[in-house]
Amino acid sequence: MRYSPTLVDHFLNPRNAGLMRAPDGVGEDEYAGCGDLTRFFLRVRDGRAVEVRFQTYGCGPTIAAASAASELCQGRPVDDLCQLKAEEIERILEWLPDDRKHAAEVAAGALRAAARDHLSRRRRDV
Amino acid sequence: MNRRVYLDHNASTPIHPEVLAEMLPYFSEVFGNPSSIHTFGRDAREGVERARERVARFLGVSPQEVVFTSGGTESDNFGVKGLAYGRGKGHLITSSVEHHAVLRACQALEAQGFDVTYVGVDEYGIVDPDDVRRAIRPDTIAISIMHANSEVGSLQPITAIGRIAREHGVPLHVDAVQTFGKIAIDLDAFGIDALSFSGHKIYGPKGVAGLWIRKGTRMVAIQHGGEHERRRRAGTENVPGIVGLGKAAEIRGRDMHAEAERLTVLRNRLIDGVRDRVPDVRLSGHPTERLPGTASLLFRHVESESIVLGLDLKGIGVSAGSACTSGNVELSHVLVAMGVPLEWAIGAVRCSLGGSTTAEDIEYVIECIEPLVRKLRQAMPAGVA
Repeated sequence: MRYSPTLVDHFLNPRNAGLMRAPDGVGEDEYAGCGDLTRFFLRVRDGRAVEVRFQTYGCGPTIAAASAASELCQGRPVDDLCQLKAEEIERILEWLPDDRKHAAEVAAGALRAAARDHLSRRRRDV
Repeated sequence: MNRRVYLDHNASTPIHPEVLAEMLPYFSEVFGNPSSIHTFGRDAREGVERARERVARFLGVSPQEVVFTSGGTESDNFGVKGLAYGRGKGHLITSSVEHHAVLRACQALEAQGFDVTYVGVDEYGIVDPDDVRRAIRPDTIAISIMHANSEVGSLQPITAIGRIAREHGVPLHVDAVQTFGKIAIDLDAFGIDALSFSGHKIYGPKGVAGLWIRKGTRMVAIQHGGEHERRRRAGTENVPGIVGLGKAAEIRGRDMHAEAERLTVLRNRLIDGVRDRVPDVRLSGHPTERLPGTASLLFRHVESESIVLGLDLKGIGVSAGSACTSGNVELSHVLVAMGVPLEWAIGAVRCSLGGSTTAEDIEYVIECIEPLVRKLRQAMPAGVA
């Protein structure tokens, strides 16, 4: 099986890759036993993610999953992002082989961590 | 996809048209069992024995010393276990950068009570012959060292190791799967007693290989059954495969030296071209003592599978030095043994050139690698590895 054109496009032209200055939430996830690591940065306004940036270290599907996830969560409530499931990201990429499922899991885990980080910062500010 | 460039000849090669033409009748017209005594069988036997003669001529040995097997892995298992079982118990020496066919055969022997010493390598992946000498014990029964490493391409000092083995009366098995048909192998000068070689690395078919066993070497069969291969390897012969391997060996005798010279030039151009254009890249393995067509490049702070995928999308086939399988990152045991730091080892990419590789292919690969690596590094948090 070949990767979908959507996955290939996200891999070759990753959206929202890079750092963010003074983010409102930062989170990362690493797949146990594997070198793949993804880090998300969120800018939040009125409880919604208005800007998302990511950095990732991993194989092609991991880069594509992070890029797809960065588009997926644009404008969504941060509370929602705390519940983000890997399947939602995988659906955008259309298909991931069994040994690359972790690409979507790492992206989802990093986004959930960034969302939780924002919520905990907000609680501290109150 | 504009162009297709295959740079993974150490993994496998396309069958040479002359090899295929020679094999085809043995799938249909000459289908007999070579053990049968009727004409159908005798015709098949003739094909097998002609192939044996061709391999023997290529190696400069007697045909009776050549045993056909099902692949390089079987040949390595036969070489290592056959020597060990032939002596019953004792100590073996191998290196930490061998193919898994040798390493895991040795581990299996350890589980059965044999002792094994795994000698280390230097930064180029090369064994120090003195380490082999120091590892020899009174009960050492066999040494198994590869001729060239498939991942990084470094050549081992087999002549020096063979001399040490001879001095101590210890038989030497050499895994020559990556050198047979690519560079000259002088079995006597090297002091080798058993040599593994394979068909599909030299434009022959998959599923066929061989083990040359020096006459007089005590070797026990590891596969039992009929009387095939002079009772050294039971099982009906893979006649079309063997015919193909014989023809491939004959062709290598004709083409090998010119191809080695041509590939050395192309390989060096690839290495220099990538190093000129891409920052933070280095060659792994020895700069000159290496296989003519193998360039293993280490890209710092990039994950090798992302390079393989990116190049694949440009029609280029190379292989990753580290693999992420089922959630485990498997660093190459060869790079680990060479002491390559993680941040470099994780970005190992092997390019192995072959008969079809052209100068234009190499320029295309160089052109494609630079923007790909630059783009991948943009998304990478530097220093994570």
